[in-house]
Amino acid sequence: MSLFEVMGFFEIGLVFSILALGTFISFRILRFPDLSVEGTFPLGAAVGAVLIANGLNPWVSTVLAGCAGFAAGALTASLHVRFQIIPILSGILVAVALYSINLRIMGGPNKPLLGSETVFDAPARWLSQPSYITNVAVLIGVVLLIKVALDLMFKTGFGFALRATGSNAEMARAAGINVGLTTIAGLGLANALTAISGALFAQIFGGADVYAGTGVIITGLASVIVVMSIFPSRTMILATFACIFGSIAYRASVGIALNADVLGLRASDLQLVTALLVAVTLILQAGGWLELRLRFFGVQGVKK
Amino acid sequence: MAGIALTVFWRTGGEKVISFRNVDVKFNLGTPLETHALRDVSLDVKEGQFLTVIGSNGAGKSTVLNALAGGAPIFGGSLSVDGKDVTHLPVHRRAKIVSRVFQDPRVGTCADLTRLENFAIARARTQPRRFRPAVSPDMKDELKDRLSLLGLGLENRINDLVGQLSGGQRQALSLIMASTGRSKVLLLDEHTAALDLETASYVMSLTSQLVAQTAMTTLMVTHSMQQALDYGDRIVMFHRGKIVLDVDGTERAALTVNDLLSLFKKASGEELCDDALLLG
Repeated sequence: MSLFEVMGFFEIGLVFSILALGTFISFRILRFPDLSVEGTFPLGAAVGAVLIANGLNPWVSTVLAGCAGFAAGALTASLHVRFQIIPILSGILVAVALYSINLRIMGGPNKPLLGSETVFDAPARWLSQPSYITNVAVLIGVVLLIKVALDLMFKTGFGFALRATGSNAEMARAAGINVGLTTIAGLGLANALTAISGALFAQIFGGADVYAGTGVIITGLASVIVVMSIFPSRTMILATFACIFGSIAYRASVGIALNADVLGLRASDLQLVTALLVAVTLILQAGGWLELRLRFFGVQGVKK
Repeated sequence: MAGIALTVFWRTGGEKVISFRNVDVKFNLGTPLETHALRDVSLDVKEGQFLTVIGSNGAGKSTVLNALAGGAPIFGGSLSVDGKDVTHLPVHRRAKIVSRVFQDPRVGTCADLTRLENFAIARARTQPRRFRPAVSPDMKDELKDRLSLLGLGLENRINDLVGQLSGGQRQALSLIMASTGRSKVLLLDEHTAALDLETASYVMSLTSQLVAQTAMTTLMVTHSMQQALDYGDRIVMFHRGKIVLDVDGTERAALTVNDLLSLFKKASGEELCDDALLLG
């Protein structure tokens, strides 16, 4: 495998690690199965691409894309908190609505960014290195910045409130935490990260596409759930690191699997493989490990 | 026996902390399951008083605690705590004045957070920290000091997850958490009912120790008449959403479990057939 390909895994893995951090907050911390991600990822791409194409500073555009994601995530949480719509349905409603909104924002199914100045262009000029190296450098900087900011956030009273809300809402309420507002802020934050991930994705691949969000929720879950079950992380600092590592490792293993001719996989099999990976991990996590061992290896005298 | 006053209204002292005024609580309003859990209840509790609340199942004793904590919707009357009207205040906005230990040890603490993190969350009840670091160095010392009083060795491992603790240990930690900060009122909702007898008596002795130490105004709901007589300084008995007995002082000191049972019979006109009340 060439350096170019390896850097490609890093590049895409780092972009999606921001999404993974968002998934970590919604699914693991808040335990809110948030499907609006399927709409907020392309929303971030669309907002970012349109603003950049209109000549706005790419960094500002990326941050504004994050703000749009925050609003969408807060809306999903509000549908659940204020109107008691079940979390899954709230997420689907917002994702479906965003499909139309994204088409409106872009004025069509996609928005090319060819020739526009992206966050990756200036560093490529300063460092005078090939873009596949400078892109990774920029992404490492952005991801580390976000990781450190999240780590600091998790140490504050607000961070504790987020964790308590997901872990035990009744206890959180009794401890004076506004559970509804915390859920709204937390899901807003998770979707802001998703949208930033989408905006960066659009800038790397030369444009936004309304279908860019298809299956991203499973991609995010694959990075978070698989790595957390392999390396259970006690501290938040380790957990956020695991999300980033998981995302890159996931991309690398997917790349290797697709490249291995022996397996006979095509790029279009990606979603199927990812879904299987997540399903198997969840089965193992739920205590199915012993059951599988019993079934396939006939271990005697082991009971769940 | 003749000297025991069956009063519905407590004499109003100057320094009352809790004041129920003709409070009505209903659940499942407008459905066939509609229940009138509290009917026109008026009750005053003075500062520093330790009240035990008894009654048969569905009598309204837990609802009194829920009305105070904010979990039960109040349809009529008013409720004030520490001079503040809290009738329609949501649960999280009452946490500053009211702290609580639940019946189920798993409800009062977060299993996947550490002991220190749980304690920091409880401390933030009266002193919220929002965007400042949730754990301060003095918090660690305070938690270690207070855990060492338990004699369970929990103070050595404040960074271990709460989920690793037994039910009794978690309930002890819940008590420590509930009595930290500056809350005026402590609510104990059958907090020993889920524990074995030995652990229950340990948690009860810890309870009376902490109540004496913090001088918090305390309401304890219990199924056990014996426990109601052994702890606290005033007994209130509920039946069908109303207070049917309210005694304190020397009248209360002379009472036995049998006296309580016959008082209940007299007040309600019914035989008490709830076995759970006789135990313990």
